[in-house]
Amino acid sequence: MASIEIREARKAYGSLEVLHGVSIDIPDGEFVILVGPSGCGKSTLLRMIAGLESITSGDIAIGNMVVNDLPPKKRDIAMVFQSYALYPHMSVAENMGFSLKIAGRSKAEIEQKVSEAADILGLRPLLFRKPAQLSGGQRQRVAMGRAIVRDPAVFLFDEPLSNLDAQLRVQMRSEIKALHQRLKTTTVYVTHDQVEAMTMADRIVVMHDGNVEQMGAPLELFDRPANLFVARFIGSPSMNMLEGQIEEVNGAPTFVSGGFALPLSQASPAKPGEEVVLGFRPEHLSIAGPNSVSTLEAEVIVVEPTGTETLLNVTTAGHAFLALFRARLDVNPGERIMLSIDPLHVHLFSKATGKRL
Amino acid sequence: MTIAVPNALSRPGFFQRLSFANKSDVFTRVLVIAITIALLFYILLPVYWMLKTSFQPNQEIRVLPPIWFPTETTAHPYTNANRLIPMWRYVLNSLFVSVTAAGISTIIACSAAYVLARFRFPGATIILGLILLTNLIPAITRVFPIYFFIQNMGLLNSYVGLILAYVGFSLPFAVLMLRGYFESAAPPELEEAALIDGCGYFEAFWRVILPVCLPGIAAVAIFTFLNAWNDFLWASLLLNQGEMKTIQVGIGDFAQEGGGVQYVNAFMAACVVATVPALVVFVFVQRWLVGGLTAGSVKT
Ligand SMILES: Nc1ncnc2c1ncn2[C@@H]1O[C@H](COP(=O)(O)OP(=O)(O)OP(=O)(O)O)[C@@H](O)[C@H]1O
Ligand SMILES: [Mg+2]
Repeated sequence: MASIEIREARKAYGSLEVLHGVSIDIPDGEFVILVGPSGCGKSTLLRMIAGLESITSGDIAIGNMVVNDLPPKKRDIAMVFQSYALYPHMSVAENMGFSLKIAGRSKAEIEQKVSEAADILGLRPLLFRKPAQLSGGQRQRVAMGRAIVRDPAVFLFDEPLSNLDAQLRVQMRSEIKALHQRLKTTTVYVTHDQVEAMTMADRIVVMHDGNVEQMGAPLELFDRPANLFVARFIGSPSMNMLEGQIEEVNGAPTFVSGGFALPLSQASPAKPGEEVVLGFRPEHLSIAGPNSVSTLEAEVIVVEPTGTETLLNVTTAGHAFLALFRARLDVNPGERIMLSIDPLHVHLFSKATGKRL
Repeated sequence: MTIAVPNALSRPGFFQRLSFANKSDVFTRVLVIAITIALLFYILLPVYWMLKTSFQPNQEIRVLPPIWFPTETTAHPYTNANRLIPMWRYVLNSLFVSVTAAGISTIIACSAAYVLARFRFPGATIILGLILLTNLIPAITRVFPIYFFIQNMGLLNSYVGLILAYVGFSLPFAVLMLRGYFESAAPPELEEAALIDGCGYFEAFWRVILPVCLPGIAAVAIFTFLNAWNDFLWASLLLNQGEMKTIQVGIGDFAQEGGGVQYVNAFMAACVVATVPALVVFVFVQRWLVGGLTAGSVKT
């Protein structure tokens, strides 16, 4: 059990800086997910916490102790690798008990801890197999078992589910979550899958190009993205964006783009004349009724029914949008429909800075 | 490697897979088998002849036409060979020199290859290039420099000199091969997992990387051993006096001291003795060479 503090951590490979001063506070017991596109520095940051990568500048503290210069074995962490990295010459039981053996624990204790972990993860029948004789999902479980027998202060996961098929991924997702609820160990989990992030995290850290773009609870990020990047990244299907400017119409601030106008609430901080980007999620579009005011006429390009939902790809005045309906719609490609945007669920971003207004 | 062949042959289904559907394929099949037998005959005949002769009385060897299957065998040539030359002493010399050279060069090659496989440091590419370069120079051009080198160090006609030469010759190949092996069989995550599990660098190498790479390391050690064991050129130059000779040099000298004419059967007996250890090593360590230990550690 331990908190993690990362203060202004930087990482440079030679003259190339890949992390530009990252600060994150993780309270004891929290499940934090680092998410971001490929190459943004998630793995690098995780490996710096683990001690597998040096820290160019800044501090990383685990349990209130700065660990910058401590080797991995002194940090009381366990890590699950994307490739699992099981020891091929050892059985499942030996793999899981290896860290305890290195720590010089007694045979009886090792046996007991390994069998406890094996029960939690359903690995008992596989204890005497070699990694080569396991399926991908089973190997993944052994890698987790190796981490939990140690009862470490911190769990680190680097994309542990990305080698599994979709179904198994969903299953392991809830197993990892359940495991965390049971063990309450501080966890840092890296993924580039935002659905994984949304469903598992207590808190999400969105990273981009070596910077933290935003951190917060999943729904906080979803409801109030701090900038265009987060707005586009969080949520699936992702948010629609429309460029335009703010004008005053009948004394009320109004978003205007081409022929489209959307009155904004009086509380909106946007000033008239400002160039902005309007963001709205696909599920906040609806088929316009006769009394709707702000409407968009759109042409349906593709219809994607999933059973519970219908996703439409539409275009309007050269802009492509997604619209999501929790119903079965009777529309066909090529048809023209009228859509209205729910004004309570729009996001405004400055076009110049990309920041939320 | 040739050792894979008996395994493949003994696997059930090998000949079934060779079986072909129609008649012209039956012909192909017979042809393939016939060629294989002819090749085997060609390869094994000298070996058989050596073995046969080493158990034959001397007068039988000279008769024409030659006797293919001796009716009467004797172990006398072996005792005779040992009487004419210190055969067992030579074998021990060879064993000592080859095992020591293989051991030393494997240890050095392991350390060097591991560093070259794992750590990026200035000059690493140059070092690799130089190692590769030494492999490209024909061995024979090294005869004089190395001879004088060993002579100047005062190591002519000593075990140390010969071992040094063998270690030097085998290192480039051993380093290159082990580096490749470390890179493919032991991905960095494996070592990182060990570091996180509480090992230091050395412990991670010793407990994880080494066992995982044992097949490759064993292959390198055996290769070095066999090279040293079979060497005649360097041993005859660097260590050619008295009781310290290796068995290969001993046999070579024996051939000139009448082994080739007068004591053909004893000479052949010495040759058999010189062949057996290499064969035994090969059979004994076969399983290390099979590899495949790492399958499943890292999903690719
Ligand atoms: N050893 C290295 N030398 C130089 N650059 C490196 C090195 N390791 C990583 N990088 C760079 O650092 C950046 C961050 O890499 P990192 O592996 O942390 O990305 P990531 O967010 O984990 O991406 P992914 O989702 O693809 O795993 C990348 O641009 C990468 O090219
Ligand atoms: Mg990564």
